[in-house]
Amino acid sequence: MLATYELTTGQKRFIWHHLLVAMVALAIGTLFGPLQAFEHSGLDLYKYLDPVIKSYYQGLTLHGVLNALIWTTFFITGFITLTTIKGLNRPLSHPKLNQTGFWMMVVGLLTAAVPILLDQATVLYTFYPPLQASWAFYVGLTLVVVGSWVEGWGFYLTFYQWRKENPGVRSPFITFAGLVTMVLWQFATLGVAVEILTMLLPAALGLIEGTDPELARTYFWFTGHPLVYFWLLPAYISWYGMLPKQAGGKLFSDSLARLAFWLFLLLSVPVGFHHQFVDPGIPQTWKAIHAILTFGVFFPSMMTAFTVIASLEYAGRKRGGTGLVGWIRALPWNDPSVASQLLAGILFIFGGIGGLTNASYEVNAVIHNTTWVPGHFHLTVASAVTLSFMGISYWLVPHLKGKKLYSAKLGVIQAWTWFIGMLIFSNAMHVLGLLGAPRRTPLGEALYVPAEWEGHLLRVAIGGAILFVSAILYFWNIYKTVRNPETAEVEVPIAESREDPQNTPAWLDSWKPWLIATVLLIIVGYGPQLYFMIRDISLTSPGLRLW
Amino acid sequence: MSDADFDDREFHPRGTVLIVTLFVLLLIVLWGSVYVILLARGTTL
Amino acid sequence: MSEKLHIDKYEKNWMLISITILIVFAVAVLVAGFALGFQLPGVSDRVDPRTVSQAGPFADPGLREVSPGHYEAYIVARAWSFVPREIEVPVGSTVTFYITSTDVQHGFKLQNTNVNVMVVPGQVSTLSHTFDDSGSYDFVCTEYCGSGHAAMFGTLTVVP
Repeated sequence: MLATYELTTGQKRFIWHHLLVAMVALAIGTLFGPLQAFEHSGLDLYKYLDPVIKSYYQGLTLHGVLNALIWTTFFITGFITLTTIKGLNRPLSHPKLNQTGFWMMVVGLLTAAVPILLDQATVLYTFYPPLQASWAFYVGLTLVVVGSWVEGWGFYLTFYQWRKENPGVRSPFITFAGLVTMVLWQFATLGVAVEILTMLLPAALGLIEGTDPELARTYFWFTGHPLVYFWLLPAYISWYGMLPKQAGGKLFSDSLARLAFWLFLLLSVPVGFHHQFVDPGIPQTWKAIHAILTFGVFFPSMMTAFTVIASLEYAGRKRGGTGLVGWIRALPWNDPSVASQLLAGILFIFGGIGGLTNASYEVNAVIHNTTWVPGHFHLTVASAVTLSFMGISYWLVPHLKGKKLYSAKLGVIQAWTWFIGMLIFSNAMHVLGLLGAPRRTPLGEALYVPAEWEGHLLRVAIGGAILFVSAILYFWNIYKTVRNPETAEVEVPIAESREDPQNTPAWLDSWKPWLIATVLLIIVGYGPQLYFMIRDISLTSPGLRLW
Repeated sequence: MSDADFDDREFHPRGTVLIVTLFVLLLIVLWGSVYVILLARGTTL
Repeated sequence: MSEKLHIDKYEKNWMLISITILIVFAVAVLVAGFALGFQLPGVSDRVDPRTVSQAGPFADPGLREVSPGHYEAYIVARAWSFVPREIEVPVGSTVTFYITSTDVQHGFKLQNTNVNVMVVPGQVSTLSHTFDDSGSYDFVCTEYCGSGHAAMFGTLTVVP
């Protein structure tokens, strides 16, 4: 189906506001990245930030909350607004609902930001109790999540209206995939919503005397793993549904792209115990079951690897590339959006391998809570996701603002510097993790650091510095684009599929069976253990502020 | 081969097969190396 | 319109290979975990973190010999130290660790072994390890526990 509907100025502004909040969050959050990296090599710049930022940990909290929670959530809801409107060729059915959701998210962000900046919520982005932040932190996070739900409802209603008018027509892939992402998010965030509303917030308000930390961890990781798919799937939407067009080709298989999204919905929640492999209080059997299910959710990513690479090969050959690898060179590497996403995909190869290692039951004990883990998720959320989002913004910002991208060349350089910086940084973090370095720890002041870590700690700092330069190049380019006197009409790249989507089997475009299966699998995967943990709940850990 | 000669029906993703094969080898080597570290560090029973 | 899923033959082979690899890895993991003794912690005792150091084994943390060559190490994690901070065992000893927290979450990672557990208030984390080589092994807190987190570690010495 051809995308003929053009966004109105108001719709563009609405999506732009999402991106603006996202990019401001990323800009502030990224400032702390090099501070942490430099600290590891013995150069502590945090002491110069006092009294604004009190500690390494406050900076780390800002880095995690702003980059992993705010940048992602705002960018994604904005992006899915676009994929809903452009895919369905129609405006949102209830724009006021979506605006309400957006403003709830903004109010939530501000509410959470105050205690973080006042050093009243230095609990990192996992906020494990009984470390206790100000109540405003929990209220703010809840508002961000609920606001994103409200925006999601706006997407569902829009889709529902389209479906009523277009029975039997295959839903456009980018819209379908965006909706799956939002549905997944709403299942996922039930865990953290229950955690905050039944334990953390009442405890912070003094209504209950304490929390049950192991139960809280279980609620948190109910959300925590599908959260990473909430981040990742919008990148996949672009890789499947847009990048082939940008590269000059077509989506290799519409059916398998949809199948992959359904499998992500189905399998991404009942896998959370793989974040709790070394926790007490959870039976080994359940840990093993979740390990196997996590292996299952690795499968659609392997499918994605094939389909996306094949789509790119198709494009490269169409552009005249020949031979087994010649098509790679034929891809438009001088397009910053394409280069960003290709490099993001390459980094994700290593992210995926590390992820499977994390999920491998007792193998997790080798690297649990070491620097391996942030090394890993900087390849996933900070590369596959963030570098892809940067790539998307190289056409999306011009599209929304009607401006020409300031410099394509600078964008390509930015993508490569991110790639190189991240290779150095994450490799050093992985090696340090294997050597036993704990994560989220100012290693520059730790007394147990052996000499063999030092060279790698220096590489962490070098990688961090390169990444910081790359971030500056990114924001400079975006800023100059927004201020660019040169206007341009930039289209939303929507890839066609090689096969007519209408030939995709109906069961791959039918919500009911997949939703039922998802709910059942969550009940099977979490029900029994959660039942026992809630039955045996003991709120015996009073909140503490130890920073 | 130029764009005009490109035949959709004759397209077989052979280059993709090469890349995913390399990916599998890399996966086995890297995952396997951590598994070996696990075995070398001794049991926990 | 067809209800049958068409899959390119190359991609179909790739999917089969993917599934095969995942099954092989899963078997390797389950064998190591459940047959070869590379096991994760499971369910152990629950305690009240407010009173756990007043009575019972955690009131007097430290090393106990339960039979020749077999020890139990009761360790209390609290902000920002482990009690005891120093542990010494003869080479060849098997030590079962029982670790709990009296305040917030901590981690306990005994370097160069697979003893790596979360320490959660209200729970006891249990794992064993046999020390075949002499030397000193640091145990490090691996979970953020407040401003003194980086200072939280101890040492287990295996003497010949």
